[in-house]
Amino acid sequence: MIRVAAVGDIHVGADTAGRYRRHVTGLAGHADVLLVAGDLTRHGTVEEGRVAVEELKDAPVPVIAVLGNHDHHSDAQDEIAAMLRDAGIIVLEGDGAIVDCDGVRLGVAGGKGFGGGFPGRSAGEFGERVMKEFVRETRSFSERLRQALTEVNEAGADVTIALTHYSPIKETLAGEPLEIYPFLGSYLMAEAIDEAGADLAVHGHAHLGSEKGVTSAGTRVRNVALPVLGQAYAVYCLEPAATRA
Amino acid sequence: MTRTEDVPHYLVEHIRARVAEEAHELGVQVDVREGKVYLRGRVMSSERRRDVEEAARAAAHGHPVCNEVSVVSSREPDEGEQERLS
Repeated sequence: MIRVAAVGDIHVGADTAGRYRRHVTGLAGHADVLLVAGDLTRHGTVEEGRVAVEELKDAPVPVIAVLGNHDHHSDAQDEIAAMLRDAGIIVLEGDGAIVDCDGVRLGVAGGKGFGGGFPGRSAGEFGERVMKEFVRETRSFSERLRQALTEVNEAGADVTIALTHYSPIKETLAGEPLEIYPFLGSYLMAEAIDEAGADLAVHGHAHLGSEKGVTSAGTRVRNVALPVLGQAYAVYCLEPAATRA
Repeated sequence: MTRTEDVPHYLVEHIRARVAEEAHELGVQVDVREGKVYLRGRVMSSERRRDVEEAARAAAHGHPVCNEVSVVSSREPDEGEQERLS
């Protein structure tokens, strides 16, 4: 059994510095790993990135994060990611990692992801250059996600999780206005997750959405945006593949 | 000529844009009913709740603003709230 703590959209800033820290230090004994599903900051500034590092560093469990759209707002995403990595936090950007959690090999693959919409209502790679670039961004990420999930599976992960900021399914967006679904996620990520195989998919981004959903092929999906959870983080308990009935 | 700030449809979008740009909150819902502006959603702190209201007032062209935004709880889950996925 592995206990996965997960949260997204903590949106730290100078005005909230230190407030999330106590939750991170208190994870010992309650979880084996912490996943952070993007939007660590409000404006994506380097200063806010430093606050995020202070909140998440020296955690009693491994911390694996992806960035979100807010973390890209000031074009300092590379610097923020580097600061997080310097503090020992694993930051995924279309790649994967395997961490040992008390003897269980947890494979996590992910990245920010992007939008485009869901079957029957999705954007196509057609027309203006910016429109094609929009769709290609998601298509390219989804392909990297599929590869990264395949790699962690082939490397012998006991439990595999896909971690993104944008949503792979529309069910966990329930509560958001329908009109903005294409800006909240894309089915291309779900297709990649289902094709490669994962035990769980975790995302954030949709503050007005719903926590629980499932992909078309049966992969559980959880929207862990802090406003959705209404608590500091959620904890999901997963059995390693070898011990499942 | 129509003053677009007097048209609720446009006023809503002007306020949403101001809240996004100045308070950096993208998930705040704005409604205008009978000339009154209602703000709803969830933010991380009481300071940010106030920031949202200030940004909304700056774009509300004198319409009264009713701030119904909630502050998210950050309590920690107890063991009974863990979800077992099998």
